[in-house]
Amino acid sequence: MARRGRDEDDDEVEEEEDEEEAYDLDEEEDEEDDYEEEARGRGKAAARSRGSGGGGGSGGRKRSRQDNFIDDSAIEDDDEEDEDDDGGGRPRKKGGGGVRGFFDEEAQVDEDEEEEDEGEGEDDFINDAGADIPDDDAARGSRSRHSIPMRDEEEDIEEIERQVRERYARSTHIEYGEEAADVEQQALLPSVKDPKLWMVKCAIGHERETAICLMQKFIDRTDLQIKSVVALDHLKNYIYVEAEKEAHVKEACKGLRNIYASAKITLVPIKEMADVLFVESKTVDLSRDTWVRMKLGVYKGDLAKVVDVDTVRQRVTVKLIPRMDLQALASKLEGREVVKKKTFVPPPRFFNIDEARELHIRVERKRDKDSGEYFEMVDGLMFKDGFLHKTVSTKSIHTQGIQPTFDELEKFRKPGDDMNGDMASLSTLFSNRKKGHFMKGDAVIVIKGDLKNLEGWVEKVEDTTVHIRPKLSDLPKTLAFNEKELCKYFKPGDHVKVVSGVQEGATGMVVKVDGHVLIILSDTTKEHIRVFADHVVESSEITTGITRIGDYELHDLVLLDNLSFGVIIRVETEAFQVLKGMPDRPEVVMVKLREIKSKIDRRASAQDKSNNMISTKDVVRVVEGPCKGRQGPVEHIHKGILFIYDRHHLEHAGFICAKAKQCLLIGGSNGGRRGNGMDAADARLGALRTPASILQSPGKLPPRGPYMNSGGRFGGGGRGGRGYDALVGKCIKIKSGPYKGYRGRVKEVTGVLVRVELDSLMKIVTVKREDIADTPTVATPFREPRYSMGGETPMHPSRTPLHPFQTPMRDPGATPIHDGMRTPMRSRAWAPMSPPRDNWEDGNPDTWGSSPAYHPGTPPARPYEAPTPGSGWANTPGVSYNDVPTPRESNYGNAPSPYVPSTPVGQPMTPNSASYLPGTPGGQPMTPGNVGMDMMSPIIGGEGEVNWLLPDVLVNVLRAGDDGPGIVREVLGDGSCRVALGSSGNGDIVTVLPNELEAVRPKKGDRIKILNGNFRGFVGKLIGIDGSDGIVKLDDTYEVKILDMVILAKLAT
Amino acid sequence: MFFHIVLERNMQLHPRHFGPHLRDKLVAKLMKDVEGTCSGRHGFVVAITGVEDIGKGLIREGTGFVTFPVKYQCVVFRPFKGEILEAVVTMVNKMGFFAEAGPVQIFVSNHLIPDDMEFQSGDVPNYTTSDGSVKIQKESEVRLKIIGTRVDATEIFCIGTIKDDFLGVISDPGAAV
Repeated sequence: MARRGRDEDDDEVEEEEDEEEAYDLDEEEDEEDDYEEEARGRGKAAARSRGSGGGGGSGGRKRSRQDNFIDDSAIEDDDEEDEDDDGGGRPRKKGGGGVRGFFDEEAQVDEDEEEEDEGEGEDDFINDAGADIPDDDAARGSRSRHSIPMRDEEEDIEEIERQVRERYARSTHIEYGEEAADVEQQALLPSVKDPKLWMVKCAIGHERETAICLMQKFIDRTDLQIKSVVALDHLKNYIYVEAEKEAHVKEACKGLRNIYASAKITLVPIKEMADVLFVESKTVDLSRDTWVRMKLGVYKGDLAKVVDVDTVRQRVTVKLIPRMDLQALASKLEGREVVKKKTFVPPPRFFNIDEARELHIRVERKRDKDSGEYFEMVDGLMFKDGFLHKTVSTKSIHTQGIQPTFDELEKFRKPGDDMNGDMASLSTLFSNRKKGHFMKGDAVIVIKGDLKNLEGWVEKVEDTTVHIRPKLSDLPKTLAFNEKELCKYFKPGDHVKVVSGVQEGATGMVVKVDGHVLIILSDTTKEHIRVFADHVVESSEITTGITRIGDYELHDLVLLDNLSFGVIIRVETEAFQVLKGMPDRPEVVMVKLREIKSKIDRRASAQDKSNNMISTKDVVRVVEGPCKGRQGPVEHIHKGILFIYDRHHLEHAGFICAKAKQCLLIGGSNGGRRGNGMDAADARLGALRTPASILQSPGKLPPRGPYMNSGGRFGGGGRGGRGYDALVGKCIKIKSGPYKGYRGRVKEVTGVLVRVELDSLMKIVTVKREDIADTPTVATPFREPRYSMGGETPMHPSRTPLHPFQTPMRDPGATPIHDGMRTPMRSRAWAPMSPPRDNWEDGNPDTWGSSPAYHPGTPPARPYEAPTPGSGWANTPGVSYNDVPTPRESNYGNAPSPYVPSTPVGQPMTPNSASYLPGTPGGQPMTPGNVGMDMMSPIIGGEGEVNWLLPDVLVNVLRAGDDGPGIVREVLGDGSCRVALGSSGNGDIVTVLPNELEAVRPKKGDRIKILNGNFRGFVGKLIGIDGSDGIVKLDDTYEVKILDMVILAKLAT
Repeated sequence: MFFHIVLERNMQLHPRHFGPHLRDKLVAKLMKDVEGTCSGRHGFVVAITGVEDIGKGLIREGTGFVTFPVKYQCVVFRPFKGEILEAVVTMVNKMGFFAEAGPVQIFVSNHLIPDDMEFQSGDVPNYTTSDGSVKIQKESEVRLKIIGTRVDATEIFCIGTIKDDFLGVISDPGAAV
């Protein structure tokens, strides 16, 4: 406790100290009785041990208070007591006596041996902390002073009051002086020349005791070379000792009971020294209208507003929303036994006198003695305007960091109350401001003082001072304001982002400015959000806050834990709001990340009321059910349930859930996809598409010939693929009943019964209509690969009919050429604009003529037979050009060729058109997948998805006879490649169609070439594989890229 | 506000269209591609009024597609802050109402509806003055002032107010009944 440094030049302060000392001495005698308690009260400060006039203004003041204790008689007392202390170690003693004794001595030492050099350094150390002290001091002082009269009635109250005032006045005065010396203070920070601060471990809970012991030791033994000892209240297990050398500290600590000999002594870095003694400004002066939270009882955590503060008794009266169980209260008042349910906490509700009266609870009306206000008294509780007024100890409330939510504030707000006028509650908010709250350029408004309502822009921010450029031109260029006098200012129409508070992350446009409260229209939810102007910044960004947690993103379709599914309509900090796939009524659940099983990323399709194919992005109208009349694009399809986005729908982020069967596909930009009822412009397309609904799963048909014919007949029958009769001849899957899971073809439909020929059992069974799912395609696109050519054949039957009957001009001859020329989907996509098909036909008669695909008898069938490997394509109806985000998906599951779905340009007319048989998978014009293609932008689609091979890429040739690995030597303009056979490329060079080639999927560590995207043609090394993504290090730039595996091809070595 | 401006775009054309009608094809495709789209800078492209210039086509390697730089005149519609617009109410709810002025959707919050108009729920939700003389419901035509715009990739969304002089209902479908 040896703080010797006292500033010589601090004369003024010293004088004051002296005065105070004098005064203190006077008083001391009277107060001797109170010593014990007071000393304890101040023990903190004392034990912090910088009090003994460590120099500087505040230090001086501090000391002056402690000087209270300086009293000769007291010293003697103390010495005695201390002796006791040392011996018995009674904790009671540790505060009072020791401190006092010490102080005295210290003070004298101080005055005796002023040491300039030391003083300079430490000074500021204290000042730093001291800046916060005055209030503290005052409060503490006032408390102790106030408590005097209560305990000591004889005391001359007026006299004390006068003195207290005097002291207060003085302390303010000093403060001014100090502020001016800001720069000087900087120079006073501890430097290398000053004694160091050492952190010493001591017995937990005995920090103060240890400090005092050390002080005493210092008194007893003059050879101790420590300077001071600090015990901090908030730091357990350690004390700080100030000394020049570690040895000095060790010496001092030697033999102390509470410091273990082995205890480590750590040096506090010079930079942190000031922080050690930095006093957290705990002086949130509890003033009226401050928001607080209750710590205990049923009201724990509840927001309360301070209505009255009694600093003397350390009690505050707060206003709460009562949590009353009137029923229980009534019973209690009537003297009945009340079973107390401890777990039950009544919800907060405003107190209603009438309600209480109804329950025969006596309500008294009383006038408060002090305030003169009227209260309703019930069972000793005071109510006013429905609020409960409760007087509690200051200790039982939280005053720091209170962030009232809007709901809470709203409840407290009386109608007609202007939030802005509520300065105090504002100040609570402001005290919670983060550092760097204001930024240059922010629009602000002055909310306090003479310049209230002045608008301006922040020019510069210095700590708590903000310089603003006022909007009014005739004012000075910049004005300085305290941060607390300013509030951010927004105009309606501003686009803002919420940066703190409950709504953090949301963006929206300001609709209304209500004082410092903004009403924002959220961008995504189209809902109003109320936020404090303080919590938002201007921003042009558009988000709903966070939009993804883990792998899941806003608007994803996810499979939930319990096998239900839904669309994420909102992402909150730790959970998602999911609109479940229940068409009957919208059900929103909150789910945690771990409760989500997986993302459903499949491109499914479904059928609408008229059996039109619906795939994602199609615009549908809901014609039945609770959401009738809604309309919008389909965002997700799963199990026959559609998630439709209707921008006019405000709930659930615009999502509507409906059964596919309750919807009708309508026009819009995707109109070309409509199945039937097409208008003239789309006639051709329509013709091509109509069958889609009957043709969903050609691949699923059994590999038996006869169907071909039957199919043909059926088609020829002229049914357009709508209505239930269309079911006949269709491949279906039985979804319930004894034959659940079987697949078959419908032979006959009679009323509600359907006769189905099962594929696997070779027999015909009768099942109920509702037991069959006639869109088996939706279910399992993963099956494709196992359907080999043979398996695919039957697909013609269902398809063929459309030719004769709907697109007559598309005579058999045309098709194969088409296939040959380019993948049909392309041509179809362009169909509306393209010249008549016949042109093609005419132009290339040889092709189809020579095609062995042509068999008499089933002319149209043949060409379609060819595409077999593409059945995968056929079976992924949802995969439309538009929708395919990655090429991987389009050729998924289907090994033969990545070109399958999207060969942008047709294959060349190579003489061996036989190769088309296996090789033109894209050639099924009728596949629903093709149907989904956006006719507007085939180019773009095509470009994005096709992996054109590049020279030097290692490939597998999938052509009969030439099977095996090969190396691409040259890529021809039409996409076919000249391939050198053999893994080392030393075999024959053959020309192979792209769909007969398959790039070899590289393994980790392989050298690769990038086939697509921005880096097409780049060479690199695959350094890792993450799911479907490959991590690639480019040779040229050494950049590491994450690319889809599909666009990577192994380089020939 | 509408503007008649010249924009440029690179069009890609499939080789199949190369022939005597190439230009027509190109224009047709341009219209299809461009009309109805929205850009933050120019707003909605309402209609193409003419093609100024079609540059030289460039064949894209590998695909055979040809890229033509096309300059075209078009009418664009872009709402501005402070602009007065007439719009048709499309939906009314307790938070306010949505109105459309062509492709632009405008939301008028209940805070920006005169205070004397109150929300009436029911079959036809509407905002009505206390004396019932003015009613805003679906299909009403209102004159409003745009106070904020937000431009997305595909749409422009505005916030409007009718809390100002000479703003409000200009024709009421309910009145005729």
